[in-house]
Amino acid sequence: MSLRTLDISPVGRVEGDLDIRVDIEDGHVVNAWTQAELFRGFEIILRDKDPQAGLVVTPRACGICGASHLTCAAWALDTAWKTEVPRNAILARNLGQLVESIQSIPRYFYGLYAIDLTNKKYKGSPFYAEAVRRFSPFTGTSYEQGVTISGKPVEIYALFGGQWPHSSFMVPGGVMCAPTLTDVTRAWAILEYFRRNWIESHWLGCTLDRYEQIQSYDDFLAWLDESPAHRDSDLGFYWRMGLDIGLDAFGGGCGKYVSWGYLPHEDKYQRPTVESRNDAVIMKSGVYDSKANTHVLMEQGQTRENMKHSWYEEKDGDVHPFERRTNALTKNDTKFDGRYTWTTAVRHAEVGRLEAGPLARQLIAGGRHGAMFQHYDPFILDVFKSIGGPSVHMRQLARMHEILALYRQAERCLREFKLNDPWYIKPKETDGRGWGATEASRGALAHWIDVQGGKIKNYQIIAPTTWNVGPRDGQGTRGPIEEALIGTPIADAEDPVEVGHVARSFDSCLVCTVHAHDSKTGEELARFRTA
Amino acid sequence: MANVLWLQGGACSGNTMSFLNAEEPSACDLVTDFGVNILWHPSLGVELGNQLQALLKSCTSGKTPLDVFVFEGSVVQAPNGTGMWNRFAGRTMMDWVRELCAVAGFVVAIGDCATWGGIPAVAPNPSESTGLQFLKRNHGGFLGKDFKSKGGLPVINVPGCPAHPDWITQIIVALATGRTGDIGLDDLQRPKTFFTSFTQTGCTRNMHFAYKSSSTQFGQRKGCLFYDLGCRGPMTHSPCNRILWNRQSSKTRAGMPCLGCTEPEFPFDDLAPGTVFKTATVMSVPKALPFGVKKKEYLTLSAMGKLAAPQWAEEDIFVV
Repeated sequence: MSLRTLDISPVGRVEGDLDIRVDIEDGHVVNAWTQAELFRGFEIILRDKDPQAGLVVTPRACGICGASHLTCAAWALDTAWKTEVPRNAILARNLGQLVESIQSIPRYFYGLYAIDLTNKKYKGSPFYAEAVRRFSPFTGTSYEQGVTISGKPVEIYALFGGQWPHSSFMVPGGVMCAPTLTDVTRAWAILEYFRRNWIESHWLGCTLDRYEQIQSYDDFLAWLDESPAHRDSDLGFYWRMGLDIGLDAFGGGCGKYVSWGYLPHEDKYQRPTVESRNDAVIMKSGVYDSKANTHVLMEQGQTRENMKHSWYEEKDGDVHPFERRTNALTKNDTKFDGRYTWTTAVRHAEVGRLEAGPLARQLIAGGRHGAMFQHYDPFILDVFKSIGGPSVHMRQLARMHEILALYRQAERCLREFKLNDPWYIKPKETDGRGWGATEASRGALAHWIDVQGGKIKNYQIIAPTTWNVGPRDGQGTRGPIEEALIGTPIADAEDPVEVGHVARSFDSCLVCTVHAHDSKTGEELARFRTA
Repeated sequence: MANVLWLQGGACSGNTMSFLNAEEPSACDLVTDFGVNILWHPSLGVELGNQLQALLKSCTSGKTPLDVFVFEGSVVQAPNGTGMWNRFAGRTMMDWVRELCAVAGFVVAIGDCATWGGIPAVAPNPSESTGLQFLKRNHGGFLGKDFKSKGGLPVINVPGCPAHPDWITQIIVALATGRTGDIGLDDLQRPKTFFTSFTQTGCTRNMHFAYKSSSTQFGQRKGCLFYDLGCRGPMTHSPCNRILWNRQSSKTRAGMPCLGCTEPEFPFDDLAPGTVFKTATVMSVPKALPFGVKKKEYLTLSAMGKLAAPQWAEEDIFVV
């Protein structure tokens, strides 16, 4: 059978304009290119602006992960200005990050992902009629409940930050708010409402406590068998249908994973520095190599970018974000053997290309590296090893599994607030370099800032989608999504839903992949992306 | 039944995320209760690739009636007016927008980027971004100042960064239920029903404003954010303290200064050094005064307010 090339423009439901080209041979993808098609130019916008401009601008790089950007922007300034951050403020920032990620779980699953299970391709599956009943856009029973209730967790964000999306309530030295008792009690009530009316009732079909007993794939299978309520929950149903239609059989990827770690502990990061962050975060950082089965900590100094296949004219080598001189090309012609995207290729200086996202976080959570106080959860790593590694299905399970830890951490923040203690310590504005990182719902996010002369000299962002959707690097190695597409079966070239599955399983967010350049001088300025 | 198509240009998807927070009606209610037929939306649509291109062409050719075209994000015209930095469905988004606006019954710009250019249009505006019918306060934008859609209205501007979900859903319901005649627009083509009152209208810090009692730094339990922290609530048109955010609060209630994001100048002063979260003053008088108040009257007002201030105005009031 001959080679056939398929251009899919746009893929849709990936947040932003993603185009994918695949070569298909004998009904399977044999080569792939991912292409980010929007350039807004945030770097130049931030250059020479107020040092705090990132607090206003970067949440607006991505309306989906705004709290995550704000978290990075605030911690980057904290490390640059050498501030003191009171424990209440650390908890309030963490809570903001948590409720944004909790919001994203049902919104992503029903709104962006599960719709594809109603595709006509799956008519032959015994699960199809039920999938249509549950997951059809707007009218599906679970879709309607899941998408609508996804607005609830961020009501908590509004209590502390005024609104979601796009608040800037995290500032160097703390937070803007000074919550009262009713803010905390109302937040508790909203969490409880969300638990009872979606997590337990729709998603799990059991209590959080019961689900939390699951530590391995065998435990999970036993849980499925235990009760029809478990089997027929959206989780149980999705898992069984996914296996039936073969979602566990494709979408693998590069097999190496990254997480910056997140949620600094309120007693361990009041004097934030770049160097002390790994030892302060509750959710540990890491790089997991699934072939060697090794876990090590992730260091920001190992971050590299390569522009050989991106629409930037720069030296061919790999550079650290602080050293980049982005020089965007005015003429963005697509040449798949040359430059073809606005995203750069991000790598670890020693380990190479890495996948970011919930699967990465959960595989790292299963490692024994890190300190005793840090979160450990062996479940996803065990499933990963039990069913033969990464796939579209594995990525979904990891993403949805996180709801438990996120929910418990949100409860913890609410318990730990000492309402009469300070929320803000006014810092002294100075020059300096800073770095802030977190885990957005869709993966590793970090900001680098260089303040000189009381203004921003350079602002850099590397977002989860920069890691995942990047093009080939200097050695020609495919990006994680490009690699994950290899081997994907395509049943109908006119409706390549399988490509959609793979792209959406990364929950990539192209709107955050923004770069800036000075079109007049051609000089690169602060570069800035997210996604 | 109204066919609604929603596309994004130079966007962050924040207005979509805000829209999905809606209740009464929710995004799903719009479809099930109000007969809104969402032809496609970047985050919600089922079609991809060629299927979507066929749907868009069916709209531009008039085969599928397009009742409401919602646009989120700026119109990216770079490089050099070609629009090639924002390609979508095989061509520039700029070209799609031009053709869809020509056939749409009504055109709704959602959020600051679509109304006035927003964050991407901050100097030096590297992506050559503009709003649909305005660039900042300049009338014209991408479509030109004389543009009217087939339904007889110019672009309906629903600004905000992001727009509040109610501002979005109520306008879509009004269009879908034939209440177009009730949509009065102000000089900036914003629905008057939302954008005549001020952000300060309904703010919980109004008494502190009156007595010139200031929140001098973040994290305090008293005071108005206008005097020291750069709050633009008294000169920004929005219902943020009448129609609360996420049904719970607002930025000013939670202690965050209003950034004036429903006005075309947002972000003010192009985020120049020294302007963020600080009140700029000249001889200790704020450079930006409450809407319609002149400097002399302001001096009288604030002196009297300070004079009349009771003791409690300087004590904590939003206590645990």
